[in-house]
Order: sequence, then C-alpha cells, then structure tokens
Amino acid sequence: MSLRIYIRVVSLGNIQEVAKNNCSLNIRGGKEAMKFLRKNLLKSIMASIMVLIMLLGSIGCNKTNVNNNASKEAAEQTQKPAESNEPQVDNDTEIVLAGYRNLAPGEKDGYYCSKILYVWEPLITQDENAAPIPCLAESWEMSEDGTRWTFNLRQGVQFHDGTDFNADAVIANFDRMKMGIKKSSFYPLDIDSHYPNLTGYEKTGEYQICLTFSVPSPTQLYNMVNFGSAIFSPTGFDEEGNFKGIVQGTGPFKMKENVLNEYVLLERNEDYYGEKAKAKTMRIKVIPDADTRFSALKAGEIMGVIDLNAIPAALAVELEGSEDFALTTTKSTMIRFLAVNGTTFPFNDVRMRQALSLALDRNMLTDELYYGFATPTTNILNYATPFYKEIPVNENMEQAKALAQEVLGDEKITVTYLYNSGEATQKAEAELISSWLSEIGINCELQPMEMATMKEEMKKGEYGLARLQQGLSNSEPATIFRRFMLTSGDHNQNYVLGYQSDEVDELMAKASEALDMTVRTECYNRIQEISTKELPVIPLFNDTTLMAYSTKLTGYEAKLYGIELPQVTWSE
Amino acid sequence: MKHYLLQKLFSLFLVLFGISLAAFVLGILTPGNPAELALSKGGYSPTPEQIKEIEIEMGLDVPYPVQYVKWLNRVLHGDLGTSYASSRPVRQELIERIPITLKLGSCAMVVTCINGILIGCIAAAFRGKGIDKIVQLGINISLSLPAFWFALLLILFFSESLGWLPTSGNGGIRFLIMPTTVLALPASATAARLMRSSLLAEFGKPYYLAAIARGTNRFEQIIKNALPNAIVPVIALMGNTLGGLLGGSVIVETIFALPGIGSYAIEAIYGRDYPALQGYVLVTGCVYVLVSLLVDGISLLLDPKVRVGRRRL
Repeated sequence: MSLRIYIRVVSLGNIQEVAKNNCSLNIRGGKEAMKFLRKNLLKSIMASIMVLIMLLGSIGCNKTNVNNNASKEAAEQTQKPAESNEPQVDNDTEIVLAGYRNLAPGEKDGYYCSKILYVWEPLITQDENAAPIPCLAESWEMSEDGTRWTFNLRQGVQFHDGTDFNADAVIANFDRMKMGIKKSSFYPLDIDSHYPNLTGYEKTGEYQICLTFSVPSPTQLYNMVNFGSAIFSPTGFDEEGNFKGIVQGTGPFKMKENVLNEYVLLERNEDYYGEKAKAKTMRIKVIPDADTRFSALKAGEIMGVIDLNAIPAALAVELEGSEDFALTTTKSTMIRFLAVNGTTFPFNDVRMRQALSLALDRNMLTDELYYGFATPTTNILNYATPFYKEIPVNENMEQAKALAQEVLGDEKITVTYLYNSGEATQKAEAELISSWLSEIGINCELQPMEMATMKEEMKKGEYGLARLQQGLSNSEPATIFRRFMLTSGDHNQNYVLGYQSDEVDELMAKASEALDMTVRTECYNRIQEISTKELPVIPLFNDTTLMAYSTKLTGYEAKLYGIELPQVTWSE
Repeated sequence: MKHYLLQKLFSLFLVLFGISLAAFVLGILTPGNPAELALSKGGYSPTPEQIKEIEIEMGLDVPYPVQYVKWLNRVLHGDLGTSYASSRPVRQELIERIPITLKLGSCAMVVTCINGILIGCIAAAFRGKGIDKIVQLGINISLSLPAFWFALLLILFFSESLGWLPTSGNGGIRFLIMPTTVLALPASATAARLMRSSLLAEFGKPYYLAAIARGTNRFEQIIKNALPNAIVPVIALMGNTLGGLLGGSVIVETIFALPGIGSYAIEAIYGRDYPALQGYVLVTGCVYVLVSLLVDGISLLLDPKVRVGRRRL
C-alpha cells in the first residue's frame, strides 16, 4: 500500500504508469516490489531528464536568438561560415563588442561617453608614441615667449546634429569648461588640469582660436590631447553645461541608442569628413564580469572585448594559439607600484628603499602572475610617454641584504602591507613580495582593504607598504613628477611618502621655464634617474593593454587608449 | 484586521526610519570622502578647492544631522536625491533597475516554491529511503555550492559548450534561465529541508494518525492533511527569501550582466554614494516589510490558530 503511494507521489507526471504499477505491486511481495519500485523510479527520473533535455534542446536549436534582435543577424552571420564553409559576410552586419563598464554614462558625465567610442573628437589626439597629432585642430603655433597658442581648426566639419564646427563651437566648449569641474567616469573635465595657467581664450578667425597663459607653456599640447580638448556640439548643452539628450560629436560614429548599463549602439557617420568607419553598426555591451565576457567571446555572442581590463592575462593565455581568436596588445598608461611610508623607520632611510627594490624579482612577478603581459620597471614614469627614459631594472638579493643589514642591523622588523581586496592577483603578488622581503629582514603583515579605506589609512600614515597604481592622464611627465616627487606634491603628501629632494625641485622649476624642448627633456631624464635611485615609491611594472577578438574581424588593433574602432570590420 | 494593518503600517515607517538612519550613520563612519572619490577617476587627484566645490554641489558642506534631515525632508516630498556618482536622480535610477531585479527575483521565487515544496514532500514521503538520502545529499550540495562558481559552471556548459543559452544580458525568458537557477538553487534547498522536517513533525500528530485510521491513501494523508499545517513555516521562510531575492543579488547580477539594484548598492558602497545607498535601503526595507505583511496575511488564511489568536487579542 505504502509503496503504491510512494510511486504516486514521485511520478506525478506519469499517471498511467503509476496505475499500472499499482496493479502489479498489489500482487507482488516485499523484495520484488522494491525491485519494481526502483526500476520504475529510475524510469520516471530518466523520463523527466529526457523531457528536460528535449525542452532545452528545442530552445537551443534556435541559436540565433541568443542575442537580442539587433545582434541576431551577427549571430547568424558568424554561424554561417562554419556550417557551409563559404565565408559570406555582409559587412553591414552589426558587430557586437563588450567591455566591463558603461562606456557611455550619459548626460551628467562631463564627456557623455568615452573617447574610444569615436563619437566625439578632440582638437588634438596622439600617435603611437603618445606624441600630439592633429585632429579637429589642423595646425598650431606657439608664440616666442610660450604664453600664447594659436590653433587653426579643420574646415568643412559638421557635428552629428548638423551644426557647423568652427571657432564659435570651440569657444562654447571652453565656456562650458569654465563653468567648473565636471565629474566623469573617465577623467574629470577640469579646465585647470588640462589648461594650467590659462588666462584667456578667444576667437581670432572663423576657424582659428587663441589661448593665452600666464606662464610659458611649451608642453601645453601634451596636456590637451584626447579628453583634454574634447569638442561637442554647442547646441547639445543645457544651462548647467550638461548634455541635453544623446551626445553630438564630430566622430566617425554617431550614437544611435544608449541603454545605460546594458549597451550602446553606434552607427557609421556617413557624413564624416575623413575616412569613414568600416562597420555600419556596432553594439558595445556592458558585461562586468571578466569570466562571462570571456565565455561570451568564445560562444560567439560578442566578437571582441575592449576598454581597460578587457581580459585578464590568465584567460588571455587560453586563447593563444587558437585559430578562432587573436590577441592584440600595446603599451598601457598604467603603472603599478609599492608606496612606502617614508616618514618612519625603516623606509625613511633611502638604503632601505633601495634594498626593497633590489630584493624584488620583477621578472618572476610579471611572468608568473601576469603571464608576461607586463613590463618590469623601476622608473616612476610610465613607458607610454615619449619622455620615458629606459633605465635597466636591477635585481640583486645579496646587495639588498647588505643594504638592509646596514639599516636594520640583525633585527627583523614587521611592516603593514596594504593591498586592494578587490583585485584577486594582488593577494598572490603580496605573498610573493613578502617572501622576498622576509629575506632582507622585513616581515609583512598583509592587510587586504577596500581602496577608499586604504587611502584613508595611508593618509594617516598607518602603513608600511601599500600596493597602488597610477594612470597617465596625459603625456606631459611633469604631472607625475610633481605629484610624487615635489615636496608639496599631492601624492607625496597623501601617501605620506616623505620624499624631499632639492635637486628635483630645482629641475622641475628649470623645466617649467624652459622653452627649448631639449632642455626640458634633459631635466626630465635626470629626474627619472633620480627616481630610480632615491625611490620615492617602488615601481613594479608597467601594464600591457590586452584585448582579445574573434578572427572573424579585421582591423582590431589595440591603441594606447582603446582600439581603432573605425577600422574594425568583418574579415573577407 | 484594521488595527493589525495600521500596526503594520506604523512599524513600516519605524523600520524605514531606523534602517535609513543606520545606513546614513554607517556611511559617514566609513572612511572615504564622496566628493574626493567622485573626482578621483582615471588617477586624477583633485585639489582641496575642487573637493570643496563638489562638496557644496553634493550638499556635504553642512553638518551630518542637517544632511540627514534635509534628505528625510526630500524623501517625504518624493525626492530620493541625486546620486553622487552619476549625478542622476536616485529615483530614476531605481525605477530603471527595479524591474530587472523584480523579474529575476520573481522567477527565482516561483522556482523555489515549486522545487522546495515538491522535493520536501518527496523526501518526507520517502523518509529514510534511498530517494530521501539522495534528496538530502542534493540539498547539502546545493547549499554548499558557491553561487559564483555554479554560475560560471552553467555558463561554461550551457553557453560556451552547448550554445543553448545566452551567457548574459537583460532580455527574454532565455536570459533568465541560468540566473534564476543560480538564485533558486540554495533557496530551494533550504525550503525543501524545512518542508521535509515540517512534514515529518506532522506525521506523528493525532489528526494525522486519525487520517491513516480512516483509511485515506498516502497521497491524501500528505497533501490534504499534513501539508496545510506543515507549509506555514515554509511560507514564512519564503517570505524572507523573497525579501532577499528582491533586494538583489550582487553576484548573480554581476556575472550575468543584469543591472539590477543589488549591483547598484555595491557601486554605491564603493563610491560612498550615500543618496543611492539610502534609496536602496528604503526600497529593500519597503519590500521586506510588505513581504512580511503578505506572509502574515497568508498565514492568517491558512492557520486558524493565528486568526483566533488575533481575535482574542
């Protein structure tokens, strides 16, 4: 009796069989009934699994519905060559890419969207070596005293909304910047940062503007590349300088749709003044998780990953040697370093900082933890700027021990090592570094922390070592030197580095007055040499920008900032 | 009943006030200046003057109690303030995100209810037998599986290898299958475990023995007699689970690229975005209280003892 009920409860979806079993079980004894029960249970479970698989299978058959309607065509196209071996790709098919963050935060963002979407353009952009090159400004001229810059603007350019690009449009953008600093997900829109010592801006012709500075500014061009001189349609601003609706730029792509936190839809600007974008439409999706982005790439849902942190090195190595996917790399503007509390023992002694630097096997660090997608350095200046000076990286444990011995004697000390708990690799990195430091008498107490909390701790000076990173907002190295190496530098103060050098102060003063670029470069070279000897911080490595894409695409090439999106298209 | 509802409504306001105050206090106790963080993107380091300017814009230049009272005043007028991070109205951001979490949470709840009750009943009916042991093992495994790992495993299998389901994104039912499974798995396991133990507790009671003595079949004994009594604690549990699901799941939302309110809360915490955090706390607080109200209502309908108890009160 009870056995019958058991079967009824379990095999709810198979009533007929239950009835049959009930009859059978009534006439069978204990063991036989159990045997029958197990058999039928198994049957029911198997039947249920089969139904489930068939249901999922029927869903799976319609593969092209994986993406939404717009990317449906792309999915169909990417499936076709594999099935028919006839690579017929319609170049107008939408290309779907993905990044980890919202590349178009919208109307309240100072820039509305990132430069890498090629919707807006700056007056000046940069080449492969981070040197300034023309974009919306065709040419420029600096006055003899270096206080006046004249820019000649490109003619025959229109914003996406049909407004003409001219000196009035540029002046309107300067007026907007003058309203005050604007927050952004990328870099704050801050006129004082991009145009230090600016005293005036004026229209000197229909296609000419002039900027005036209170002090000679021979490297002003480096300050204003990309985000520093972004130009938008003047009709697109409200009274507060925020955007009204979708951004209107002059770039090779127009923004057609922006669904915050989900995707941005770009469309080729058919009226673009230069070489038109090769792809007709592009959809840039937001997929925050790196593993999911990787799976989406492998599943063919997206054709490439872009932006910072596009793909972790550990996942990228899986794609090496694959025929279906390729990697593209370039120099990154990010440098990783260890900040040291230079106001207290032992790191207030330069020998101890040198010992620390010498004890680190940076090659092993970058090879083992970052799979070679990073370049060891002891230079505080990032290698993406044209002012970077190549200085050999020294590693010598014996020398490190000797220097540490001079400072510590036979004592061992314990220091607090702070690292960002949000980055998984930093833990492994901290463990590796602490193992090397233990050899020179430093025991590290590892403390994972959320970044904002960590910086507050550092401000209070309650740390010994802290793992940080620094981006290069423009190619002018003075910004980095000023922040880390001048006594009044904000990082020097906030990170309690305690660094002071009269020579650096003098060199910085000399460089700021020098109109001759050779003199300026000499000053910067000397400062870099000092930085590797006196080590206000302990540089570890320069990042490598790493992106992956399907070989169904062509023109996918990593740049200093993003990829050359207008060149990306389907392979023939 | 009217008195009961009024009492609940009053407690709703108390709870919302309490949690919003707690969130505010915890926010200001946490290190990190929101104005400085908002300006520190891309390695930028703002000057003290710039921080001051943004602090004034954000309303952080006044004492903390004034900040809280101002916020409370705005909330009473239907304005949840402006997000420090995005500069957009918090109400608008929540309106955009809530439907996504609601959709995901509802699906997970339906799956949890069906699975939890069904599996719990089966395990109880087969107490001590092989199937019960399998269910128990399944429950333990389900509770032990880390959500992120299970999510990635599903993506690897169903999206990357088989290509049946989309890896991520906000769309139709196909986009919800994997996130729902991940969310519903531990919830279903907890519900099934409770359902089983609750049913087993009912099996020894006199009314149940009387039902057996009357000659009813096993199905009737469980479904008609034991289940209505055993399900009351399960419904209470479901209420808590629903509250949790509607509060958003950070892991599931992040992995499956679903911009719901769970990921919103985390972004707000990292950016010290107090208005966004307060808005989130208010919404989830409301959800919890309303769900508990709903659960109480269902318990009233199902359990005569509760009704009688209330009448006496």
